[in-house]
Amino acid sequence: MSTATKRSSPARRAPRRPAITSFALKITMAVTGWLFAAFVGIHMYGNLKAYAGADAYNSYSFWLRNAFYPLLPHEGLLWIMRVVLAVALVAHVGASAILWARGRRFRGPHRRGSYFALGARSMPWTGILLLAFIVFHLLDLTLGIFGAATYQHATPTESFAFQNTVTSFQRPLAGGFYLLTMVALAAHLAHGLWTTANDVGVTAPRVRRVWKVVAYAVAIVIALGNATLPIAVWLGVLS
Amino acid sequence: MKLAIEVWRQSDPLDKGHWERHELDELSPNASLLDVIDLLNQQIVDGGGEAVAYESDCREGICGACGVTVNGVPHGPVPNTPSCRQHLRAFGDIKRLRIEPLRSASFPVVRDLVVDRSALDRLAAAGGTVAVNAGKAPDADALPVTHADAELALDFAACIGCGACVAACPNGSAHLFAGAKVAHLALLPQPSTERGRRARAMVDAVEAEFGPCSTYGECVKVCPAGIDLAAVAALHRERLRGALRGRDD
Amino acid sequence: MNVNRLRRTGHDVDARVPHVPPAEAWAARKLSYKLVSPTNRRHLKVIVVGTGLAGSGAAAALAELGYEVEVFTYHDAPRRAHSVAAQGGINAARARAVDNDSLERFVIDVVKGGDFRGREAEAYRLGEESVRVIDHLNAIGAPFAREYGGMLATRSFGGVQVSRTYYTRGQTGQQLQVAAAQALLRQVHAGKITLHTRHEMLDLIVDGGRARGIVARNLVTGDVRAYSAHAVVLATGGYGSVFFHSTLARHSNASAAWRAHLRGAHLASPSFVQFHPTALPVDSPHQSKTTLMSESLRNDGRIWVPVRPGDDRAPLLIPETERDYYLERQYPAYGNLAPRDISSRAARRMIDAGHGVGPLRNSVYLDFSDAIARVGRATIEERYGNLFHMYSDVTGEDPYTEPMRIAPAAHFTMGGLWSDFDLMTSIPGLFVGGEAGSGYHGANRLGANSLLSACVDGWFTLPLSVPNYLAGVRGEELLGEDSPVAHSAVAEVRARVDELLSIGGTTRASTFHRELGEILYAGCGFGRTAEGLSTAIAAIAELRERFWTDLRVPGTADRLNQELEEAGRVADFLDLGHLMCLDALDREESAGAHFREEHQTSSGEAKRNDKRWAFTSVWQHGSPPIRHREPLRFSAVKLQERDYR
Repeated sequence: MSTATKRSSPARRAPRRPAITSFALKITMAVTGWLFAAFVGIHMYGNLKAYAGADAYNSYSFWLRNAFYPLLPHEGLLWIMRVVLAVALVAHVGASAILWARGRRFRGPHRRGSYFALGARSMPWTGILLLAFIVFHLLDLTLGIFGAATYQHATPTESFAFQNTVTSFQRPLAGGFYLLTMVALAAHLAHGLWTTANDVGVTAPRVRRVWKVVAYAVAIVIALGNATLPIAVWLGVLS
Repeated sequence: MKLAIEVWRQSDPLDKGHWERHELDELSPNASLLDVIDLLNQQIVDGGGEAVAYESDCREGICGACGVTVNGVPHGPVPNTPSCRQHLRAFGDIKRLRIEPLRSASFPVVRDLVVDRSALDRLAAAGGTVAVNAGKAPDADALPVTHADAELALDFAACIGCGACVAACPNGSAHLFAGAKVAHLALLPQPSTERGRRARAMVDAVEAEFGPCSTYGECVKVCPAGIDLAAVAALHRERLRGALRGRDD
Repeated sequence: MNVNRLRRTGHDVDARVPHVPPAEAWAARKLSYKLVSPTNRRHLKVIVVGTGLAGSGAAAALAELGYEVEVFTYHDAPRRAHSVAAQGGINAARARAVDNDSLERFVIDVVKGGDFRGREAEAYRLGEESVRVIDHLNAIGAPFAREYGGMLATRSFGGVQVSRTYYTRGQTGQQLQVAAAQALLRQVHAGKITLHTRHEMLDLIVDGGRARGIVARNLVTGDVRAYSAHAVVLATGGYGSVFFHSTLARHSNASAAWRAHLRGAHLASPSFVQFHPTALPVDSPHQSKTTLMSESLRNDGRIWVPVRPGDDRAPLLIPETERDYYLERQYPAYGNLAPRDISSRAARRMIDAGHGVGPLRNSVYLDFSDAIARVGRATIEERYGNLFHMYSDVTGEDPYTEPMRIAPAAHFTMGGLWSDFDLMTSIPGLFVGGEAGSGYHGANRLGANSLLSACVDGWFTLPLSVPNYLAGVRGEELLGEDSPVAHSAVAEVRARVDELLSIGGTTRASTFHRELGEILYAGCGFGRTAEGLSTAIAAIAELRERFWTDLRVPGTADRLNQELEEAGRVADFLDLGHLMCLDALDREESAGAHFREEHQTSSGEAKRNDKRWAFTSVWQHGSPPIRHREPLRFSAVKLQERDYR
């Protein structure tokens, strides 16, 4: 039998699946994605405490640093969260990079043209933007390296999160970047959360419909909640 | 009506391939896309050339043999309709057709518009089967199937195996095809006795030769059988179920 | 034309039906079959050509039993075989409802539907095994329609007054075909079947009077090779596409069967071709085939034409009193569900009498407005949704609001390779299954019996009868591929391919095919006359002459060349078309779909001549061809005139 027939025979031994399956990678992305969604949800809730005043905001920040003491050491909860989120981030980004490369390889040189699918298409770009923002955000408000000129580190007895946030947003570029990120976050979360319905196998039509609505609602609420902050700073509501 | 046609020519799997331009006059709006290729071929052969190779058989939208990409869209501009049932009257004001094969690294071009879709059969062979030998089946009425389950199973089983879902996918994923098969068989009493085994085999096979699903949803826009995106979820559901149960059923 | 100069007559041939009452014949035959022990089976090899319902079933079942099987299909995938396009359903004599159905009634319907030109004992086998067919296909994944109570749903088809047709919406063939192809693929995966896709059988290898293998051409590389086996099964489908405009797939062809015929396999009643009453009319000259609409539509649709010839008002503007529901009028007992041959002929007559509708006045209306008013649009949608969708795709008209237009078109061939009761042809070791064969359906096939006969052949007859033959050749070496007989068969195929390429004329094969179709529709179509058939025979001879001098096949033989494939098939169609006309000219009676205008009752129905023609014409290749007879005897069903009034 010639090679051409071998190639076209269903009897041909199929190539083996990759060692780490896309299925496992997708599940990893779904679970870590939920974790991030929960995180940004709680984070937004914390952010909104700004409207209750600087003391409320700072004491929430202070609590985060000292939560469950003495069961946990000082900053114990914070470090657990940092480690978990960092591992999740590496897994999420790593999995997405592998999947992206696999998609391109199996598609081959003739790329699909003329299609819309904005939700799925924008995922790598919104993802990269979010990643860039996370780096900036940590440097700005956690480490203070790119923070506003008046950035103050927290002390064992006091937190200056409110002041740092407000002064950071008072820089138009930082506030603008934040708003742009929130648009990206909304898009990324909406499509990501909806996609997880497929990843974890939700087939019931009604559940799928509800899932989609909830995914989009959660994404929009979180992004809008956060986006009010720089706007409020610019409007002088928060100062 | 008149159409400018650019068609992909590739003499064999190793050829690089190129575009060839033609013009067709006096086309009836009732002509189907494949009628257009037939007329184009007549013109090419009359001019001393070799006809464009393409696949089609039943021309009723059920055999799944036909499938070309038109202006970037598998099967053609009319959504959820196989190439043989795409008629010019539904094309709107399109004046130029760019006709190429179904594109995917998993579908190597055999010649011109003909591609090798045997990867889909390897997928079906790996897990889309039911281990019941001839003559051993129980009475079909002894295993009641609810009306709703039978209808839903048929919704998934309607897949015609054309491969347009793969060609529509920016990732070259066959999850809609594999998922439709798994979902259909999971709904029926006899075939569902090997759900776990089937899901593992199908997912392994789909990952060996096709890309991952990123929920672009492009597949459902072209699927001539109107398979729902829930098929993709079904593939993952069955695989997860198999993993969690760790059994063959 | 004197038929005696065109053919010789031969002798009576024996189908080896056991001499017991027909109802017991299959059981008696099965008991007499020799067996092969499980350990010996893997040393015996069977070639199956074709992967439709019969081919897939036979290949899968033989592989399941432990035989080594090699399968050939010219498609890229086994699932594409044309069984996939059957729509309406599959009959079974399960007789679960209390509508007084039974195996005996099934047999009566089949024998009577076939106008007493089929084998009674085979009708029994068909009915008997039909029960297992439904069970098996249900088990391997065909999602049959179910009632709300979870039981299998049935509907009615033409030519019967009970409800015994099992279905999956309008895509029964597809579901059965995919299930069968999967069963085949399961054995491919298990290593029991070697599958050759994109391979076309172009010759049969016969040695010592027995079938020993085939010659096949790899359509992608052009490689021509011999493949040997202990037995060969042809399940290559019917030849209705000889008419060019037919409901068959574009690539459906007669070549494998015709090549076997040239090697000595007899052909039975090649002129018995069924015209499907509910195809879509040909609307434009460049159309390459007609589209089939399931006969199941006649369950709910009412067929009518305007009373006044040439009435060109839109259908909705024609009042009830000016419509002629001619089937209901002429055949009140069966109405719109009259058998196919009768419905097709009635439509043809209406069209010929000027009552035809549509732009080319070549169709009749199939109207659902009453049914929609009665059961609601949703129910009609559930029953026929995909058919309605297909109709509006093809025609651009909406069948929910205006009547469909339908027209009869060449569809199923009751004729085919002659086989005995074991489905073995006149060449020992060569078996046939499904539409490629003959036998069950006589001169007219009932709706939903073709899926059934293909399944019964494939799953429950060949897996029993082929081993009976294999038991006799156990221990025999396979024919070497370099043996002289294989070598010369390969050389002949190559020479023919080269000949087709070297004619260097001006006309494409498809043009000849179209012309052949026109000749056959005119001469060997709905109504046949001695004169028309003589004209057709002369026209085919002339066309054949032109074909071999003016054919143009562009390209080469060393890669995929669809024009070359088509040329080879059309060449065989030309020879087959001649034999069809000869068979029709020879048979001086009307029976079922074979309607000789000279032989009709006063009411215009087919008039059989049981004294002279109660036999199957069995044609042996020769120059001129020899017509043998297989006498038909009826004991369970009394010979009678068909009456559907």
